[in-house]
Amino acid sequence: MMRLPAGIYHETYRQDQQWWQTRFVWARMLFLFLLLFVVLPLGLPMLDASIGRYVLGLANLVGYFILGALGVQLLIGYTGQITLGHAAFIAVGAYVSALGMLQFGLPYPVTLPLAAIASGLWSVLFGLPSARVKGYYLIMTTMTAQFVTVGFIITQYVAQVGGRGVAFSLPPGTITFGPFPVESELSKYYLMLVLVIGALVVVANLLRTRVGRAWVAIRDNDIAAEVLGVNVVRYKLLAYFVAGALGGIAGAYWLTSLSAVSPEHFEFALSLELVGMILIGGVGSLYGVVFGALFWALVPEAIQFGVAGLYPFFPELFGKLSPLRLVAFGLAIILFLLYEPKGLAYRWWQIKNYIHLWPFSY
Amino acid sequence: MFFKRNWLLTMAILMLLLGVITCTGTPAPGQATTAAPAPGAGEIKIGALYDLTGPTSDVGKDYALGIQEAIKCLNEAGGVNGKLIKLAQADYGYRVPEALTTYKRYRDFDKIIALLGWGTGDTAALSPTVANDKIPDISASYSGELSNPAKAPYNFYAATDYSTNARAALTTWYDEVWKKDPRFASEQGRKPRFELFYSFATPYSTAPIKALKEQAELLGFEVGKGQDVSLTALDTKSQVLAAKDFKPDLVWHGNTTGSVATALKDAKALGLGADHIVNNWGFDENLPRLAGEAAEGNVYGIGVTAFYGESVPGMDKVIECAKKYNPSVPQEARLIRTVQAWANVLALAEALKRADKAGSLSGTGVKDAFETFQNVDVGLGVTPLSYTASDHRPGSLVRVYKFQGGKPVLVKTIDMKERFPNEWGKWVGY
Repeated sequence: MMRLPAGIYHETYRQDQQWWQTRFVWARMLFLFLLLFVVLPLGLPMLDASIGRYVLGLANLVGYFILGALGVQLLIGYTGQITLGHAAFIAVGAYVSALGMLQFGLPYPVTLPLAAIASGLWSVLFGLPSARVKGYYLIMTTMTAQFVTVGFIITQYVAQVGGRGVAFSLPPGTITFGPFPVESELSKYYLMLVLVIGALVVVANLLRTRVGRAWVAIRDNDIAAEVLGVNVVRYKLLAYFVAGALGGIAGAYWLTSLSAVSPEHFEFALSLELVGMILIGGVGSLYGVVFGALFWALVPEAIQFGVAGLYPFFPELFGKLSPLRLVAFGLAIILFLLYEPKGLAYRWWQIKNYIHLWPFSY
Repeated sequence: MFFKRNWLLTMAILMLLLGVITCTGTPAPGQATTAAPAPGAGEIKIGALYDLTGPTSDVGKDYALGIQEAIKCLNEAGGVNGKLIKLAQADYGYRVPEALTTYKRYRDFDKIIALLGWGTGDTAALSPTVANDKIPDISASYSGELSNPAKAPYNFYAATDYSTNARAALTTWYDEVWKKDPRFASEQGRKPRFELFYSFATPYSTAPIKALKEQAELLGFEVGKGQDVSLTALDTKSQVLAAKDFKPDLVWHGNTTGSVATALKDAKALGLGADHIVNNWGFDENLPRLAGEAAEGNVYGIGVTAFYGESVPGMDKVIECAKKYNPSVPQEARLIRTVQAWANVLALAEALKRADKAGSLSGTGVKDAFETFQNVDVGLGVTPLSYTASDHRPGSLVRVYKFQGGKPVLVKTIDMKERFPNEWGKWVGY
């Protein structure tokens, strides 16, 4: 159902790369659309308003992680450029958007693309060394982005603009889309859906074009790619631009949940977490980004629920159980890397295959 | 072939983890009831955010113990007008996204009516949300910005704010040391030089800086350019050497205890030769243990409450409850953080009592009850608490301490409102 029946062959690359080739896929997408746009935001709160609100709050965190990790996936998973400084570009996006609104009175919908462009260009700057270095050395240069951007430029200079102190608080009513304030979980959720789906569609589309093929070629073997006529430096920098821009959108989006932006929201740990997300989700897969973000947002929350359930029985162990929560999360990551080295996306692919081939196992 | 053992194991773990969260029919989690509710009596649900594993856990662990003990003792003594407090609690490790999701869990599952919050970053990030949800947040962040009800109507704390503390420490040093100490008798012809050590990226550390610089100008200090010291600093030699060129007479330390101890030790080792003033979260019983002799002498710090075990009204109860509920934690290891936690809980309990009496035991009711406080004395050396609809600074009485032989000694209690009557009104909100 998911695939075309035997005997039908594609004759062009365009046909081969077409999305949604069968009716089943159309139906599945319609179901997903209804689930995301109607059932989750509107249906669930009808059953229980506060649980609905809570789920949307979590979904917004997942969306932030997807937007953030998408750029990392593009760089690491598709172009083979290891990055450990992506939080810097998220920070640039958040600060450009916040300053645009607070300092220059720009509306939020204007600051959003500005944030993307500024982060993209900033990312290109730190992508320049990739023309000369790769592998472990590239890790060092991308880490520079983190420390120079967040630790130095933003903390020392940008955060001092307007004499607000480091934490820029965004008064209620600052973030609006025309007449609509983005304050309730529902409004943040719809904004998140539009941004996440938009970003995924753009990246997925890029990946099936000449640009995407060039990126994959660079990842697989940059010398071979160059021999084939791919302008390696140009495409690498383009990847940095797109990844930075996605980070910028993530930062600007996260402002809706933050209400106060400060450099400590974009520390090195976030850069590492974003890499963790794509490792868990699956390197080189857009599904991987979504699965990784879901894992990173939901599993700690689930563990919190589990640990919280133990407190009434062991109240004196509270202080001791809390670090265990981190151990449990670490263990979950190790288990996934051991049993699922190709990430959750690979497992998803196998499940789909299994269903597709059922009842035959081959 | 497909259903391999590892596949099953992985799926089982995944389903288990995700199953817990999607299972909405389970009772509300995270609630540590401290005693069975008396029949017929109501229950008051409160949430608490702690840092037990993050960069401020050096002071967060003891604070968490204090909150738990205070709530237990309160419940044991009959709760709030007979209603017991049910505490939902979690460690968020100073990670803002986790603070946001934990708060949402408290709000939507546990249905709390008030929050006992922690750091400045997350309290500021949550401020508009708690205002929107009408859930008062009684935080361990005493940031001046949170004391302006026009911007943060649902934020409270039972301690003098960081900015008032910083101004008080600076003023005390100016009055008691610069003007009186024979070391500076021959230096009166020049301006005293003042340098600041704090984490530039941390909202807690930066919260009082504007007020501090303003106060330095008011008193006629020459202010240095500031040194960036991380909250988890293990070495501050480069900052001390950079500050040394400025030859400061006084240094402000705006981080938490671990980082402050490092800076004090390096300052002593490298012969900085300056006196020190320390914000309240950097000044506790652990400071002389970590910094040794470097914490003695001309190191002055803020105590927003009395130190643990100090002879003040209400302290007996704190010690009794600490011994009773956490006997495994040695008394010598207990800190002023326990007392600070008690101060917030006692203030909240008083507000809950008033709200309950007024028949509106809700977030809004608690907020309104706080705003009826007029010089409420919760003991423990806390400034008498007053909140109005236009000013949430709880008070103006600041305790300045120093360590002698590893023990805290009260140097002076300074009333900032009395000392600066004309400026006090203008200082709200930063």
